[in-house]
Amino acid sequence: MKTKTTLKILLSSGLNLITLSNSKLSKPGLICLLMLFLSFGNSFANTNYFQEPIVVTGTIADIKGGSLPGVSILEKGTSNSAQTDLDGNFTIKVASSQSVLVFSYIGMRTVEKSVSNGTNIKVTLEDDATNLEEVVVIGYGTQKKTKVIGAIDQVTSNAFKGRANVNATQALQGKAPSLTIQQTNSEPGAGLNINIRGIGTLGNNSPLIVIDGIVGGDINSLNPSDIESVSVLKDAGSAAIYGSRASNGVVLITTKKGSKSSPMTVQYNTLVGFNNPKFFTAPVHGYENAMLRNEAAYNSGQSTAVFTADQIRQFKENGDTEWFAKEIVKPAMQQNHNLTVSGGNENSTYLVSLGYVNQASNFVGPDKGMERYNYRINLTNEYGKFKLTSTIAYAKQKITDHSSNTSTLMVDAYRVPLYYRQKDENGNYLTNDILQQFNSLGILEQGGYRKYDNDDIFGALNAEFKLTDYLKVKGVFGGRLYANSVYTRVKEVNFTPGGIYGADRDTNDESRKSLDLNTQFMVEFNKVFAEKHTVGALVGYSNENHQDRGTGIFKKYTDPDLGIPGTDTVLGPNSYNSNQSSSRNSLNSVFGRATYDFKDTYFAEFSFRYDGSSKFRKEIRWGFFPSATLGYGITNESFMSDYKDKVGNIKLKASYGVLGNQNVGNYQFQTTYNTFPNAYGFGNTGVSGAGFNFANPDLQWEKASTLNLALEADFFKGALGITFDYFDKVTRDILLPPQVPGVYGTGLPDFNAGKVGNRGWEISATYRHSGKLFNHSLTMTLGDTKNKVLNYNNGDQRLTTLEEMQVLLREGLPFNSYVGLKRDGYFQSWEEIQGAAVPAGTTVQPGDNRYVDLNKDGKIDDKDKFIFGNPFPRYTFGATYNIEYKGFDMSVFIQGVGKRTMMIRGELVEPFHYNYGMTMYTHQLDYWTPQNPDARYPRLANNGTASNNNNFRNGSDMYLFNGAYARLKNIQIGYSLPDNVLKDMGIKGFRMYVSGQNLVTLSKVGFVDPELSEFNNSMSPTGANSGRSYPTQVYYGLGLDVTF
Amino acid sequence: MKNILKQLKFIPVLLLLVVGCEDLDLAPENAFTDATYWTSVDKAQMVLNTAYSQMSRSSWFFYNEGLSDNAYNGRGDNEGAASIAAGIYNPSLGRIKDEWNSRYSGIKTCNVLLENIGRVPGDAVIIKRIIAEARFLRAYQHFQLTTWFGDVPLLSKDPSLAEAKTISRSSHADVINFVLSELDAAMADLPKNSEYGAADKGRITSGAALALKARVLLYEGRWADVVTATEQLMAGTYGTYSLFASYEGLFLPQNEYSNEDILSLQYVPQYRMWPEMFDMAPLSAGARLNALAPTQELVDSYIMTNGKKIGEDGSGFNEADPYVNRDPRLTATVVYHLHPWKNEDGTVRPIYIKPGSSVGSNIDEYVPGSSSTSTGYYLRKYFDPQHLTSLQSGLNLMLIRYADVLLMNAEAKNELNQMDATVWGQTIGALRTRAGFTDPGAVTFDTSLSQTGLREVIRNERRTELAMEGMRIFDIRRWKTAEDVLNGWAHGAQYGVQSIDNGYLRVNLRAFDPGKHYLWPIPRDERLINTNLSQNPGW
Repeated sequence: MKTKTTLKILLSSGLNLITLSNSKLSKPGLICLLMLFLSFGNSFANTNYFQEPIVVTGTIADIKGGSLPGVSILEKGTSNSAQTDLDGNFTIKVASSQSVLVFSYIGMRTVEKSVSNGTNIKVTLEDDATNLEEVVVIGYGTQKKTKVIGAIDQVTSNAFKGRANVNATQALQGKAPSLTIQQTNSEPGAGLNINIRGIGTLGNNSPLIVIDGIVGGDINSLNPSDIESVSVLKDAGSAAIYGSRASNGVVLITTKKGSKSSPMTVQYNTLVGFNNPKFFTAPVHGYENAMLRNEAAYNSGQSTAVFTADQIRQFKENGDTEWFAKEIVKPAMQQNHNLTVSGGNENSTYLVSLGYVNQASNFVGPDKGMERYNYRINLTNEYGKFKLTSTIAYAKQKITDHSSNTSTLMVDAYRVPLYYRQKDENGNYLTNDILQQFNSLGILEQGGYRKYDNDDIFGALNAEFKLTDYLKVKGVFGGRLYANSVYTRVKEVNFTPGGIYGADRDTNDESRKSLDLNTQFMVEFNKVFAEKHTVGALVGYSNENHQDRGTGIFKKYTDPDLGIPGTDTVLGPNSYNSNQSSSRNSLNSVFGRATYDFKDTYFAEFSFRYDGSSKFRKEIRWGFFPSATLGYGITNESFMSDYKDKVGNIKLKASYGVLGNQNVGNYQFQTTYNTFPNAYGFGNTGVSGAGFNFANPDLQWEKASTLNLALEADFFKGALGITFDYFDKVTRDILLPPQVPGVYGTGLPDFNAGKVGNRGWEISATYRHSGKLFNHSLTMTLGDTKNKVLNYNNGDQRLTTLEEMQVLLREGLPFNSYVGLKRDGYFQSWEEIQGAAVPAGTTVQPGDNRYVDLNKDGKIDDKDKFIFGNPFPRYTFGATYNIEYKGFDMSVFIQGVGKRTMMIRGELVEPFHYNYGMTMYTHQLDYWTPQNPDARYPRLANNGTASNNNNFRNGSDMYLFNGAYARLKNIQIGYSLPDNVLKDMGIKGFRMYVSGQNLVTLSKVGFVDPELSEFNNSMSPTGANSGRSYPTQVYYGLGLDVTF
Repeated sequence: MKNILKQLKFIPVLLLLVVGCEDLDLAPENAFTDATYWTSVDKAQMVLNTAYSQMSRSSWFFYNEGLSDNAYNGRGDNEGAASIAAGIYNPSLGRIKDEWNSRYSGIKTCNVLLENIGRVPGDAVIIKRIIAEARFLRAYQHFQLTTWFGDVPLLSKDPSLAEAKTISRSSHADVINFVLSELDAAMADLPKNSEYGAADKGRITSGAALALKARVLLYEGRWADVVTATEQLMAGTYGTYSLFASYEGLFLPQNEYSNEDILSLQYVPQYRMWPEMFDMAPLSAGARLNALAPTQELVDSYIMTNGKKIGEDGSGFNEADPYVNRDPRLTATVVYHLHPWKNEDGTVRPIYIKPGSSVGSNIDEYVPGSSSTSTGYYLRKYFDPQHLTSLQSGLNLMLIRYADVLLMNAEAKNELNQMDATVWGQTIGALRTRAGFTDPGAVTFDTSLSQTGLREVIRNERRTELAMEGMRIFDIRRWKTAEDVLNGWAHGAQYGVQSIDNGYLRVNLRAFDPGKHYLWPIPRDERLINTNLSQNPGW
């Protein structure tokens, strides 16, 4: 009876999945699963016979002997349950002496005891954290923690608890050594940079994300509270099974499941708080700025003052107006709610969760921000030898944004001195000398919006059949269907005295639908021979494919109220149909792993993957990626038993292997011609043009040879655990476009043209102490990586301009090292200037930058450029401290970077930047004057003067800053109600807490958020950092966790 | 165990079901491949259209004036105009690299087209024309390159990557010879302007090829050849060309494709527009700020209606009321204080620029360091009354117009010492009459002038007639007068302190080193990749 019902659920969830896809692939996938069902599905039987009930009593305690009230006791296979009282005692009637009792308690390892051993049972429950049987998720399977010899960091759900994260990436920051996460923008819905072990290649450095065994999911659409564990596969040993896409590391995310034989648990978590915008600098007083402008004009040889003494006096009397940047932001509410219902019986488990996040935008005006709804069902069902895991997750993300561009709005608001107003008493939005066209407030309040509406459906069906107790077959079918859309309305705003925003009255719609499908089939073998030889093997086959299509409609001059077409509406020529914006790729693979260990002392592991990718030409499409790992549990040797008893375990690990990276565009191996409308015109009518993309028919994957050496040791009976890893990775055949001279006339696609070495180490240490009065733990991680370009297309070099500076790709240097002049203080007097080397054509004055004449030829030019530091963060660290005392708990999380060269430019460095910015900021007051000869910045001089050119148009180390920082990322203080109170209230758990984020930042650069980066996660410059970003958010919130 | 084996036999079957399914041979849906592209004249035509679009760009057209003594780029460094004009630049400057790269991209488009056109089936006449258009465009790009850089790599065919990395510079003379012979070849196969239908207006004509040839010869100082070429154009052998009746009207949208337009960069309202006027027009006319402003030096070059220069005896010039009785082309080109601005609806209003002079809104007034004009002047020429939002315009920008042919003819004749009343009447006289001069002192030939005196008049005529059309920088470079006009202060209107430069605003200090600045440096990036590329003297 029960079997049938469940089957129905299974089938319907299976069908749901199937309807997601129309691909040729889905059918065999379904057939495969159905056959598994049909062949094995009806061989189950339930045996149940009636007996006299037996009364069982007992006590339950923790390892220190403290009594545990509220532990749930369940008779396995039934819904018969009981709980311990205040003293940890319980009584339960069970069906027979064959019955098994399951003891479970949150945060502790579940224990099963058979009644057959006596009717008075004493049980000791251990902390989950110290669980020796802890299982680690690895590629296509799991492994007992004691048997793991690959370089894998596992982050558990505790890392996500009580933090006001809107996505899982944010929550992972600082949690694993050498997992570098940079938040380059705090705006709701903005992306983050993820890197594992630094920069290993010159192209795409994104790690592979695998969610519940399916490749291609979006980590940011997950509800962080659904995550059970995150495994970060760092070395070739653990990652080679992902072959041609593993060289940047792999992140495996496993979602929570219900527990077997446990009654229904309902958990509700909420965290509600405010994000307060924080600026790291502020403009100088209005009157002060007017004086500074006069000083700059005087220094520039101008005969008339910009502001008269009267005007300056007036500014001072009137006082400062509000800084535009502050006027356009406000504190904004953020809410996180999660409801999880889970449980299970002997054969099946269920978990249903609902999540809701609402992060309001800090911008003023009509409501903006990000909302996400998450819904998930995870089911596991076992019928004898058959096990089925099915997952359906749905995420809906809605972002409402203004219709403009955030960095434009911010920079416009930043630039205006404090003697202008943004809006007058009649509600007119004002333009002025600096913002002639429009102001940010008007755009935010009335300029329309952009609405993103994204649906993400993720499903996976995992069928497992145990042929014998050592051999099982597995079929996995799953995928992700995601539909993104963005609807834009630009509304007209008129400014006073002049300027119009959105006069085109655009109404735009863009939508895109993508489908990722995964089909896997594997056979797994696990057996222990003679109680000491543990042998495991896995062989599998998979196909992964991706397709997407999108359409876009862009209309101009639509109705000002409704945005619908009117008589003068025109369809924008950039509108596109789905065939214009479509792509597909596919990957077929065979993979496998063999593991062996002898008495947990000698370990060996071998894995491989053989991949064929549609991104490469047929003849050279297949690649082989093997790895081998050895481990030595030295303390399990008999001669070390004394050490093991007194000190702890030591394990040594080494792995070597070859990994691939095929993150390049589709179809690059064939030359293609694209046509586009309105390239030119004849007779006042637009005509189409055509462009070409040259091919590289010999394109193939990158190959990264990775060596990893690791030491794992624990001390004080496991209270202190330390792991240390060293790695050395050489990536060759790096996919990147060759340096093409301008004379060639066009760019070229990626070639296998580079070689980069990336070396580093990481250490992580955890100390746990459980005392009578309090428990506490401290986890610290620290990692460093350093890359060096070993070859770029046989001696080529690539110089990329980053505004005033450049970044250089050259053999022997870290990737994209900064290039610029080196400052040698200031010219302090006219005498010093006589005959000194200056940039060609420039006349300088005392107080101007003096540069080092590297080649001593008496002039400053490109030949005098120095190569400066490494822009990638080094010595990234994280520290988490938890302490519990009676009902109180506190956790503190600090995260930071030990070393980074950071470039900042624009108005935050240059006063009155290009005459675009017209205020100075308080941090810029340290400029050169005869009285301040050792200033941070040169003397003031107007845009266009030789001095200004000398000081600010020549990229120099003046623009480079020390990007090291430490940030108190999160602090939480909570209180849990004691069990006796809980019992009276009839609930299982109740915790209240306060949580704060980004409360304190220590940084050498005081005037911008040190987390801002001018690079994306592939270290390609995404535009220089001018600090023109959405403000950093300081969060305070109040949370509640209730369990029923 | 037997049972298991029985089940196991399904595994390969299942495996096969899954395996055979996803094809790895995928082709793009939104692009052609090399094998499917060159199949029709239409598709070849689209590549040619791309080559046309690479000919020039509106930002170069306007900001090139900022490189010369005609205008000042006071905000940002648009197309390198601020730093090049001030003489503070080096081989890394973005503009220099950009001009180099874009022109070679244009050459590549032409070469790819020329190398594949043989595969295209279709109308032989049209194919012949496409080839001629592509050869013209390739010659045009080489001419621009050699004008800026001197010796440059010459690409008469598409290079391989290895060739592109090792190619050395061909001499300026070789490049010019190539350009001239290509233009001759193209001219033979191109239609005249009168032979094109309305839908083909804007295409290259045999007249355009000849006019470009005249310009090349002019820049080379081959005066007799210039005379030959320009006289062929003036005789109507290569199409129907004449001066448009109204100088002001020539730059208005209703008069596009007039007989004066020999070659223009094509724009289409709504679909392909240029935005520069947003940063050049008076703010009260809808501009957001001023980034490019005419200089006092340009304004001073406009003669009086009586034909005399402002400083000349009897000119009648009044410094207190400087804009009256001036060359009518001043009003059609430059916006000055109390300029009678024609609104889009045809009404006229004064523009107030002098500080404190405004009646009503004062946004156009000169305020130091503000967003308004940096010199006291704005731009009128090419202001499009039919502009769309943000002053975007679909007006064609003329690269060669018939007035230029007349000026070239006059200059060459004078250099050959052949200027006389007839030639004057056909050239300078005709231009001045068209501009609206009536005073005989301006229109008739002044027999008292020597060749040198005439040279000054003709050169000044060229400056004012073609002002703000991107030609001045090339002229002062070929005349080798850049060192005289691009050293020292560029000025604005008389709004400053009387004691300094007679009250004319000092807006920008310029430096021009004749030992190096007559040629742009070869871009730094380019020489890093290709070590066979030599550098110009002084860099």
